[in-house]
Amino acid sequence: MPAASALKVLLVDDEVVRAAMVEEALASEGHQVICHLTSPASLNDMVRRHQPDVVIIDMESPDRDTLESMSQLNRENPKPVVFFADEHDPDTMQAALKAGVSAYVVDGLVQSRVKTIIDVAITRFEAFQSMRQELDKARNQLAERKRIERAKGLLMKHQGCDEEEAYRMLRKIAMDRGQRIAQVANSVIDILEGLEKGS
Amino acid sequence: MNDIPKAELDRLQLGFVPLLDCALPVVAREGGFFAEEGIEVTLLRQNAWATLRDKVAAGLLDGAHMLAPLPLAMSLGLGRAPCDMLAPMLLSRNGNTIVLSEALADAAKAALTDDPAASARALGDYLRKHHQAARPRLAMVYPYSCHHYQLSHWLDLGHIRPDRDVDVIAMPPPQVVDAMRDGTIDGFCVGEPWGSLAEAEGVGRLVATSAQLWPDHAEKVLGVTRSWVHRYPATLTRVMRALLQASNWLASDPAHSDRALEWLALPPYLDRSVSHLAHFALDEPPIRQRLAGPDLLRPDPTAMAHVAEYIDQHMRSNGRRLDHDTLAECYSPVHYDHLAHQ
Repeated sequence: MPAASALKVLLVDDEVVRAAMVEEALASEGHQVICHLTSPASLNDMVRRHQPDVVIIDMESPDRDTLESMSQLNRENPKPVVFFADEHDPDTMQAALKAGVSAYVVDGLVQSRVKTIIDVAITRFEAFQSMRQELDKARNQLAERKRIERAKGLLMKHQGCDEEEAYRMLRKIAMDRGQRIAQVANSVIDILEGLEKGS
Repeated sequence: MNDIPKAELDRLQLGFVPLLDCALPVVAREGGFFAEEGIEVTLLRQNAWATLRDKVAAGLLDGAHMLAPLPLAMSLGLGRAPCDMLAPMLLSRNGNTIVLSEALADAAKAALTDDPAASARALGDYLRKHHQAARPRLAMVYPYSCHHYQLSHWLDLGHIRPDRDVDVIAMPPPQVVDAMRDGTIDGFCVGEPWGSLAEAEGVGRLVATSAQLWPDHAEKVLGVTRSWVHRYPATLTRVMRALLQASNWLASDPAHSDRALEWLALPPYLDRSVSHLAHFALDEPPIRQRLAGPDLLRPDPTAMAHVAEYIDQHMRSNGRRLDHDTLAECYSPVHYDHLAHQ
C-alpha cells in the first residue's frame, strides 16, 4: 500500500486483546496506530499531541462525550474531529453499530479513505465478539461438566452405586423430565447437598 | 382508562444515564405504572450521551431520558447526521450544580450565596490575579446540554473566558467526582446526585445551582424519534401517561419519595452514588430538583429560549442559523395536551 494513503489512527479501547487485533490489521495496511485505554482527561491530551486523522473508539466508551466536545470547544485544536456517520452507506453504519465500533474523523477527510479503516475495525470487533462467545461457551461447558461430576459423586455416596450407575440415573431422570443432564445435575446437587447439610 | 388504544408494542427498551432525574422512568417501572398500561419496559443504563443518542437514532432503543437540548441538536444534525426527534414531555426541571474543588473554592474564596454571580466574580478575580498559574479545567457533561450553557453563563457572570482563563471539557456524570478527587478537573457543572456527592465526600464545594441561573429550566426530556412516534402513537401516549402517573404518585405523599430513592439506589440505576442522601429532596433550595407539579412536565418551545440562543450562537460560528420551525416541532406540547384532555 502506498505511503500516501497511510493515516494516523488513534484506537481507544479497554479490551487489550481486541485493540491488539485492530492495531495489527491496520498496521499491516501501512497505517500508523496509537493505542489508548479509556480515560477522559488523558484522551484530551492524546488527541492534542498526536493529531490523529481517525479515532476508532468502543461504542460503549464513556470517553465518547469527551471526544465529541473537543471539536466544539478546543479552538486551539487545528484538526476538528467529527463523528463519522455516512448517510450514503447505511449498511456500514448498521454494521459498525452492531459490532460496537464508533469512528471520528478529521473534518474534510475523503470518506472512501476512512471507510476501509472502519471496515477493518468492524471485522476485528466482530471476530473478537465471536471469539469471546466461543470462550464463554467453553467455560460454561467446563462448569457444567464439573457440576455433573459433583452430582455423580453425591449419587454414588447416597445410593451406594458406582460411577456408571450414577450417570445412568442422571440420564434416565433427564429423559423422563425432558431436561438436559446439566439441569438434572443441578437439582440433584441441590437436593442431596441439602440433605447433607440437614443431617 | 381504556379510552386510549392498546399499545402497539408490549415491550420497550428505554435508555438512561445515572442521574436523580431519571427517577420518573424508574418509578414508572418499579411502581408498576408502565405495567398498568400493558407495557413491559426495560431501562438500559448508558455510559455516554453520545452512545444513548446513536442507539435511539438507530432504533436500538425505543426512546430515552435525554438532556433537554439533545433532541434539538439531533434534529439539526449537530454532532452527527440529522435525525428527526421529538421531546413530547419533560422528565425534570432544575437539578444541576456548579461545584469547585475544595482547593480552588478555598483559594478563590468562592462560596454559595443567593446570588450565583458572587461566586463567579470571586473566581474571576482570583484567576485574573493568578493568570500565570495553570488554567483550571472544568467539566460539563456534553456539548449540547444545559450544563454546558449554564457553565458558560456562570463563567460570563465572572468575566471568565473559556480557552483564555479556563479549559472546558465534557465528561460523563459518574466520572466527575473521582476526576475531581484525583485532580484531573477543578470544577464541574453536572446534575444530581453528583454535586452533593462531591460535597459529601469532601472533594468539592457547591458554588451555584442551575435553579439560581435559569429558574425552573427544562432539564431532561423523554426523547423519541419522529418516525417511532408515527409507528407507535398509542404506545407513546401510554408511556407518557405512565410517566405522568409516576410524577403524580411522587407528589401525593412525602413517603413516596423515600420509596423512589430506594428504587434509585438499586444497582442497575444509581447504586451507591445515592448512599449519602438522607432523603430525596424535591423542590428544596438551593438545587430545587423538580419532578412533579401542575403542567411541570409540559414541553414548550418558549421555555427552551436560553438553549435556543446558545445553539443559534454556536451554529452562527459555523455559518448556519437555528431554524425555529425545528425548535417548535421538537418541543411541541401537542402530544402532552392531547393526553391531558383525554
